[in-house]
Order: sequence, then structure tokens, then C-alpha cells
Amino acid sequence: MDLEARLQVTEREFHTGGGPTREKRSPTEWIPRPPEKYALTGHRAPVTRVAFHPVFSVMVSASEDATIKVWDYEAGDFERTLKGHTDSVQDVAFDHTGKWLVSCSADMTIKLWDFQGFENVKTLHGHDHNVSSVTFMPSGDFIVSSSRDKTIKLWEVATGYCVKTYTGHREWVRMVRVNHDGSLLASCSNDQTIRVWVVATKECKVELREHEHVVEAIAWAPEAAHQSIGEAVGNDIKKGQRSGPYLISGSRDKTIKMWDISTGMCLFTLIGHDNWVRGLVFHPGGKYIISASDDKTIRIWDIKNKRNYKSLEAHQHFVTSIDFHKNAPFVISGSVDQTVKVWECR
Amino acid sequence: MNPAATPEPVEDVQGDGRWMSMHKRFIAEAKEREPEVLFIGDSLFQQLGLIELWDKMFVPMHCLNFSIGGDQTQHLLWRLLNGELDNLSPKASQCFINSIVVICIGTNNHGHTAEQVLGAIEEIVKVIEEKQPQATILVVSIPPRGQYPNPLRDKIATVNAGIATFITKHTNTQFVNIDPSLFISPTDGSISHVDMHDYLHFTRKGYQKWTEPILEDIQNLLKNFLTADQASLAMVPSSQDIASMADVN
Repeated sequence: MDLEARLQVTEREFHTGGGPTREKRSPTEWIPRPPEKYALTGHRAPVTRVAFHPVFSVMVSASEDATIKVWDYEAGDFERTLKGHTDSVQDVAFDHTGKWLVSCSADMTIKLWDFQGFENVKTLHGHDHNVSSVTFMPSGDFIVSSSRDKTIKLWEVATGYCVKTYTGHREWVRMVRVNHDGSLLASCSNDQTIRVWVVATKECKVELREHEHVVEAIAWAPEAAHQSIGEAVGNDIKKGQRSGPYLISGSRDKTIKMWDISTGMCLFTLIGHDNWVRGLVFHPGGKYIISASDDKTIRIWDIKNKRNYKSLEAHQHFVTSIDFHKNAPFVISGSVDQTVKVWECR
Repeated sequence: MNPAATPEPVEDVQGDGRWMSMHKRFIAEAKEREPEVLFIGDSLFQQLGLIELWDKMFVPMHCLNFSIGGDQTQHLLWRLLNGELDNLSPKASQCFINSIVVICIGTNNHGHTAEQVLGAIEEIVKVIEEKQPQATILVVSIPPRGQYPNPLRDKIATVNAGIATFITKHTNTQFVNIDPSLFISPTDGSISHVDMHDYLHFTRKGYQKWTEPILEDIQNLLKNFLTADQASLAMVPSSQDIASMADVN
């Protein structure tokens, strides 16, 4: 784009308040715009994870202060604090109904919370070290967790029993995520690799080695992103050149990598962050990836063109986590600066 | 027996246990924080952690600061042998994680000779080598002190010269020998309060000068770690900011 055209775009954005109006831009195109809508304070230590509720206009934040806080992201109000963990809370996740919340902590436990009564209904013991990440299986019947004890565990919600343990990582497992149909798990580790596991058989399907430092975050590509990924690598989907599933990973080596799990190949690398990449989420429209980094920015990456489309100076300190709402125009971020920020998309 | 190299906790003369509280906090931080750069020392490093320069230049490199005002070599040695270097980072054999330990200690060892202080600093280097074999150690020279030339400055100069000699025996250790003349007036040999407000501790301006070579060495080391890793792969990404498309396999 030549400079004049670029200037025109910038001028237009300036006059409409930093971006196209919500009416003009379709939901598949909307991206978070500065400044933030709310900067929410209350945590007394770094925020480790943020997550949207799937139904109501609330979100939760986990912190090293051992608490989980519930906020109304539309009104910018603090709702309540969930107390129970005795050490840093590392991750939080909702089931698809939003009735249940699961959390994990450096206190080595996983806690299940009834999100209607805000009560801690179960505490799962079994990991021998800091539990780094936790998520529900799509059915909601099982919980998956990863730990500094190098294992990944599958827990039955009804009984609270650990029913499977996946071993193979050589170091601290940082994050575990389930694919959309619940058949595969992806995990990333301080051993600098990403592993993909078959849930049912505990078999490690593939090990991805290309990052040069701890791999902090991973995210499965939704179906909506397959076309952009295909275009990025020059595949013609109509001709039946389909592959995938696809996974992205973010590392302390400052890069983000896109992987094709069917082949175990790295399709491309996104370079631009100046420090550790800590959080990754796909835009629900499938055209963008949003990342959070210790360089204090949030970046929006155009998948098709494999380029850094926008950068937001987001926080005063490292940005640790990011989430994108599945159907409302909001992004939330958490930081070592102890704040949670709400960003409106246009 | 070298008293400067005999590990010893600080006696809690005031009775509030602050020294031990700090030591315990450092152990907890070592366990959870995964620093890439660790500063260990006395008030000269401790006060660096309180100024904006630290937040701006050092925190983004994932630095931690385990420094306590008033510490002498034997106190630092005790802290290192009692948990502050344990659980720091995963072992290098499996992970290739490089880390840097920066030390500056000795200005408070009033009761000890230059030889004793020197022996203690080498002992500290050995302890770090043993506990964190993958780490690169940076030993920073002890800065000069006192408004006018005095015997302490001479003792410090002897210690620094000694560090330069023993350091050659330690492969993963470098000497950051900061020229004392940065702070000393060539006309009368005085140190200005503009650099050191009490002729021992640095002002913000003094820290700016003093940390510049330290910062440079750390940045070079971190850069080298990454290039060394990249060289082991065939692909070296070239374009910044614009995502590079590298079909690697």
C-alpha cells in the first residue's frame, strides 16, 4: 500500500474513533481497538489467565494471589472473588454450558466450581507438582490437566477420579488443549516440544520440535480458519487438497508457529514479538490469530498473508493471557501489572 | 580457615528477622519465576532493583534480584548453599536453557583482608558452577568508595586485580571489570556525590554509568544464546516485524 492510501485509512480511522464502526465491519473482520474499554484492578499479584463465560456477559481471571475473580465485561464491574486455592492459580476454564468452572493451582490441586452457586464442589488431588493448565473435554464429562510433574491427566468429573495419565514430556508441561471433537490432546512443554496425543489410547501421535525455547502456549485452529491457512500455504481447498488439523504454538523464542498435525510439519513462522509469547487465541472468524507477549503488546496476525496486521500497546508489564469472545465483539487480556483489560472490537 | 569464605547467616541483631525473610522469599521466587538472569549481591545490586532503570532495562529480560544490603561474602555464600540456587531452571542437559548469574560482592567485608575476600569470591563462583553448571557467570568488579583516596579503595583495587587473574581458570565465567576512573576525578581523585550520594551507594545517574557495561554484556550473551541455537537449524529468519514465511521441512 502506498503512503497516501495508508494516510487516508488512518485519517478515516481517526475520525471514526480509531477504526471502522461496528456496523461497517463484519464480525469476521472485527479486531480489538485501543484504547481499552476497561482496565480492571483488584488482584494483588500478577494475573495468570483470563477466560470468557460462554453464555453470560461475565469473565473470570486467575491470579498468583491464589484467587479467581469474576467480572462483568460489558459493565466493567467486579462481581465476586472465588477463594479456596492456597497458592498461585495457573489456569481456569468453563464447560460449554457455563455451569461449571475448573481451576488449577501451584498448590497441586484442581478445583471444580459450581458457577451458579459459586461453590467449590470438588478438589482433585493426584499431580505431584504445580498444575499448570486445565480444560474441559467438549462433552463436559472429563477434565484434562497438565503439570510441572511432566504428566497430563484425564479426570472423570462425576467421580473425581484420575482415569488416564499421559507421560512422555521430559520437563514441565505448560499447557494442554483438546481439539474440537475431543479425540486429540495437544500439549507444550519446557522441553521445547509440542506433543499431540490420542485421548483414547494415550498414544503420542506426533512430537513437534522446532522451537528454540520453552513453548508457552498452544491453540487448535477452528474449522473457520482452515481456508485462511490453506491460502497461506497455497493449497486449493476446492481441489480437495485438504489437510490438518492445524495447531499454533507460541514460545519464549519469541515466535509463533503454525503446524499441520497430519504431517507433523511447521507450515510457517510468525516473527515480530520482541519477547516471550505467552498467550494465543484464534479470531472466531478464522482470519486472524491474536497473541499476547512479554513485550507488553497484543498483536493481530493476518493468517492468509502471514503478517503482523496490528499491534496494541496493551499493558504496563508482561501480557500473560488473552481470550476472544466466540460471538460478541470483545477481547480480554491479563498482565503481570495485575490488571485485566477489556478491549472492544470494531 | 578463611572467615570470608566460611558460610554464615547474618545475625539478627535488631530482632525482626528481615534478613531471613528475604532469604526465604528468594527461595520461593527461584522455584516459581524461572529467571533468565539472576543478580546476587549486597546493597549495590539491591538498590538497583528500586529504580526505574531496573524496570525499564532489566525486568523485560526476565531478571531477578537476590541482593541484601550489608551482606558480606560469607553471608552470600550461606544463602547460595541454603536454597537460593536450587530449583532455578531445568537442567541444561535436557533443555539447553541458558541463564546468567551476575554477582557483585565484597565491599562490606571490613574485617577481612583482600586475599580473604578474593578467596571468598572464587568460592562463590565455584558454588554457582556446581549448582547451575549451565549458567554463565558474570563477576562485576567492586566499585571504588570514599570521597577521597583511602586504604579501602586500595584494597578493592587489589581484589579486582585478583578476580581478573583467577577468572581465567573458570570457563563459563566472565569478569565485568568496570573502570573505576568512570567515577573518580582525574584532578584530585575524588568521587562526586552526583554519582555516589554517600560516596558508596550510587545515585540514579551513577547507576546509569555503572550498569551500562553490565547491561551490554547480558544483552550480548542473550543474543549469542539465540544465534547459537538458530545456527543449529538450517533456517534463520531474516525479516523483522513482517512475518517470514519459511517452509522449513
